[in-house]
Amino acid sequence: MNKTQKIESMMEVVRILAGLVIAYAIALAILFAISEDPIYIVQQFILGPFSSPRRIGTVINLAIPFTICGLSMCFMYAVNKFNLVGEGIFMLSACMVTWVSLLLGPGLPSVVMLPIMFIVAILTGIVVSFIPAIMDRKFNANVVVVSLMLNSVIQSLATWILRYQVRDSSISYLGSREIPESIQLPKILGSFRVQSGLIVAIICVIVVAILFYKTAFGWKMRLVGANPRFATAVGLSSISISFIAQLAGGAFAGIAGATEMMCNYTRFQWTVTTQHGFDGLLVAVLAKKNPVLVPIGALFLAYIRIGADVVNTSGDIPTEFVTVIQGIIILLVAAESFLSGTKNKLIFKAAEKEEKEKEAKAA
Amino acid sequence: MAEVMRMQNITKIYPNGFVANKDITFAVGEHEIHALVGENGAGKTTLMKILFGMEAPQEGKIFINGKEEKIANPLDAIAKGVGMVHQHFMLVPSLTVAENVTLGAEPMKNGLFDFDGAVKATQEIADKYNFNVEALQKVRDLSVGQMQKVEILKALYKGARLLILDEPTAVLTPQETEELFEQLFKLRDSGVSIIFISHKLEEVMRICSKVTVLRHGRCMGSLDIEGLNEAAISKLMVGRDVVLKIDKEDPKPGKPVVEIKDLVKINSIGKNVLDGVDFTIHEGEVVGIAGVEGNGQTELSEVLAGLTGFTSGDVKLNGTSIKGKSVREIRDQGMAYIAEDRMVEGVAGDMSIKMNIVADRFTKPDFKKGLFMDAKKINDIADQYIKDFEILCDGREQPVRMLSGGNIQKVVVAREFTSGANFILACQPTRGIDVGTAEMIRKTIVRKSREEGTATLLISADLNEVLECSDRLLVMRKGKVVAAFPKANQVSEETLGEYMLGVKEMTQSEMEGLL
Repeated sequence: MNKTQKIESMMEVVRILAGLVIAYAIALAILFAISEDPIYIVQQFILGPFSSPRRIGTVINLAIPFTICGLSMCFMYAVNKFNLVGEGIFMLSACMVTWVSLLLGPGLPSVVMLPIMFIVAILTGIVVSFIPAIMDRKFNANVVVVSLMLNSVIQSLATWILRYQVRDSSISYLGSREIPESIQLPKILGSFRVQSGLIVAIICVIVVAILFYKTAFGWKMRLVGANPRFATAVGLSSISISFIAQLAGGAFAGIAGATEMMCNYTRFQWTVTTQHGFDGLLVAVLAKKNPVLVPIGALFLAYIRIGADVVNTSGDIPTEFVTVIQGIIILLVAAESFLSGTKNKLIFKAAEKEEKEKEAKAA
Repeated sequence: MAEVMRMQNITKIYPNGFVANKDITFAVGEHEIHALVGENGAGKTTLMKILFGMEAPQEGKIFINGKEEKIANPLDAIAKGVGMVHQHFMLVPSLTVAENVTLGAEPMKNGLFDFDGAVKATQEIADKYNFNVEALQKVRDLSVGQMQKVEILKALYKGARLLILDEPTAVLTPQETEELFEQLFKLRDSGVSIIFISHKLEEVMRICSKVTVLRHGRCMGSLDIEGLNEAAISKLMVGRDVVLKIDKEDPKPGKPVVEIKDLVKINSIGKNVLDGVDFTIHEGEVVGIAGVEGNGQTELSEVLAGLTGFTSGDVKLNGTSIKGKSVREIRDQGMAYIAEDRMVEGVAGDMSIKMNIVADRFTKPDFKKGLFMDAKKINDIADQYIKDFEILCDGREQPVRMLSGGNIQKVVVAREFTSGANFILACQPTRGIDVGTAEMIRKTIVRKSREEGTATLLISADLNEVLECSDRLLVMRKGKVVAAFPKANQVSEETLGEYMLGVKEMTQSEMEGLL
């Protein structure tokens, strides 16, 4: 590694740490102003998520959908198409899994049901993400706009299925009939009560990482994302590669929704989308579209979310305030050019020094 | 005749060490249309940017109406009576002519924009100089020629007494050009001095009274047009600083590899950017294309590389037409492409050297092991080429953007020279890189043609390169091949300049057998 590279990777770490420190400092300053017991609140926010095995488990459980959604967004982000339809797919996939499993009934064993459920989820994801992707490809329609509009369509579609196809009229709230036990996934790891979705998430990370870094398709996607005109000039079809990447991203959003449904719920009861798709984008940005870093980004996001919950239940700080702190942290961590001036100065100095050394040698 | 502007001993060196202007003295008199001519990269644009306050020179002084002035920025330049019409128009399409003209110096009434006042002022000034534009029209509804008039009005409205026109006729039809000239004469007679930047010598001869020639950042002289001819100007413009010799044997051309037949491409605004190009490249020869940039060379290379289609005619590569083929298919037919702008089409800067080197071939079965990429093979190839092409780097995983320009270009040629193609399309292969690398690339082009029988099309603005590397030499102008020479290294710079600048043109029968 040469000096420039060393400076770049060092500054990356410094940048993230500085972002965190500043964010917590701002939070602390505000807390001192508005809270009776600011130290306790900060302590709860930082350490609360680790205070019991149960809470650690909750962090991990929350990180599971974040991870899979983050992987989904890595595909979109890798080819520079901010297709946000993952948000809708997450909801619809859970809904479709519920519907299909109820249609199939409780008769079939898990080994048959589970693969069917994941196939349903993947197909849902592919079919839905096909819409903005094809509109982008054929009509040059902005994927961001189309996918956001599509999300509200999907939300209504899922609610329609809930109300008219799977609703359990014997319960007092709006919810589906209970899904067969054969697809209700168990909790694992004893007192941590972690969902078995963890296994799904780990498999997904490995699959996506291999896909990105070891297969021709992953290379194509990364080249197209890095410079589409170059990719075209060396004979890759930028348009179809980014199209397929969006479908693949949709498939993973589908897996995320299905996993969440089968691990966490016995009835489908969402009537609005769950923000998981957008959180996935956040995770992908934090991870710099590197699937290997996605779980870390997801755990970080889950950690501050749970920290917020802890503060909310144990202190005098409203949850909205914690959202503000989260926002600051994420902003500073994700802001790529934060401290870039310092970085450039360091690189410049190193180059200057090298020049002088060269001159000295020559003399 | 009084001087309205004098630039005295201007020297400008860019931070990367490129000397764009060296000790240039340039003066414009009253009632004068003064031509500023020179090849691409001769320093015209830099000199005008200095005058318009967009760049600061290291040395030299600027006098306006005999008084020494510091021009800090374009606003300052405008305040001092200098106006510039850029080649690419800087207009707001959704606003009216009047709003565009007055933008930045709007007439005000009661603290608000006085639209009627703007319309009146614009119409007045347009009528005064007989500019046929409607102040109330939206700019997006105007023709290119009218937009240019709006640009000129913009400068005049702000009180310009010295007008810089950067290649104003490049975008105009012949009729629009005539109209523009009439107006320029009127402006000149009413006391506005004009600096006219152009490649078109016949226009310079027609409308200008003086001409200043730049070459390689140096001033070759300011001369009166009277008594000059186009050939004399072209001789001053086109020339080599240092003559660079490349030793090579005579080519032994084999069977045709690329056959271009009556190729026509009409672009989106209806201009014939390629207008019946017709020539053949054989095995074992390097065909060079010289010409002032913007005469169809870029379009030709894009068509040959499969990046854009064409309107009519045909191109055959190794016997098969490339019409409607994808880049992948054309590359598989035997094409390799060194792109004009390496950062745009030559590399993906954020990706590793390794990925850039195998970017054109990793999808092939040889590079796969089952479902995955054959990492070992790819690493070996990357290491091999880094060694063979002497790419200075910290290993194959380093992102390409961290390399120097020359080393980036080595990554490009490492890929394109080793792709196994028998046709290399090399566009500006050594632009902006160090001498050593440039020499290596030129020698490799010649060696491949001699030893491996590669057919090469070399498109370059570097005279040394086209004259010394090429075997046959063609000159392109206005989308056509206007001259062909059997031996490139025997063509004199003067002759080449005359064809490049349109002083002379060969007939079809003269070029017979050389295409």
